[in-house]
Amino acid sequence: MGHFAVIWAAIFGVLAAGIVAVPRGVIAAEPSKTAPQSRFEHVHALAMAADGQALWLGAHTGLYRSQDRGKTWTGVTLAAVHGHVDVMAVAADPRDAKVLYVATHEAGIFRTRDGGLTWTIVNAGLKGLDVHGVAVDPRDSKKLHAAVRGEGDGVYRTTDGGEKWVRVDDGPAGEVKVLASVNIPTGMGGIFLYGGTAEGLLRSPDCF
Amino acid sequence: MGGLPTSRTVNGFAVNPENSRVMYAAMRDGLFQSTDAGESWRPVGKGLKDLAAVAVNPRQSTEVYAVSMDGRVYGTADGGKTWEPQR
Repeated sequence: MGHFAVIWAAIFGVLAAGIVAVPRGVIAAEPSKTAPQSRFEHVHALAMAADGQALWLGAHTGLYRSQDRGKTWTGVTLAAVHGHVDVMAVAADPRDAKVLYVATHEAGIFRTRDGGLTWTIVNAGLKGLDVHGVAVDPRDSKKLHAAVRGEGDGVYRTTDGGEKWVRVDDGPAGEVKVLASVNIPTGMGGIFLYGGTAEGLLRSPDCF
Repeated sequence: MGGLPTSRTVNGFAVNPENSRVMYAAMRDGLFQSTDAGESWRPVGKGLKDLAAVAVNPRQSTEVYAVSMDGRVYGTADGGKTWEPQR
């Protein structure tokens, strides 16, 4: 849709001309020698449950949960019909610690309402199953946006916690890595949807 | 204050639930924090790199976690000033 490229704006683009050089010597330093050993292959996502207890991690090798702030991790099986899923995004309900949404590379979106014991596939309305981002609206946790890549490419919205999705926009340029609804009013009745992409950080009013 | 490294992939993104103008971007070059909704950014977390994702504790917004692409988890309890590996 033609309006799309105009709406999604690089929110730091104006800084590019006068960008302060990042102190590369500082950030390129090697991590501490006491850094933990790697446990995962190709991590994609991290989220914390609303109660500040469970930390959830999404990786190429699946979904993991930590109850001790990332020190130890337990693999979580999403569904028996999918032996292996590549977890691309994880979004926690900001009010209910038992509710979590997990977006996958090959099987769409899973939802739990019991803290991860049981999972429901919530793909109705999605035109593709490669989901690279999912975001819960901080003002209304039944309202979410999801970014689908490849077949059915675009941004989808649900207003009933994933029971039904509707495609609402083309999405930002570049591959979406992470999607987040940010409680900053647009002045048009909505808030901003931020997208971390292969082309930087972009944002758009969510009133598609 | 500066910007994010331009034309680079933003792998992870998280927002302070108590103040939505405070946000974090996880990138290959490290972790960046903005306090003005993304208008300007500064690097935080000396030594962190190849980051895949970042998360803020919804109940304690100065507690932030970042994870590298290969699964190393780091945490801060002071809003990003000091970081420790989680192990």
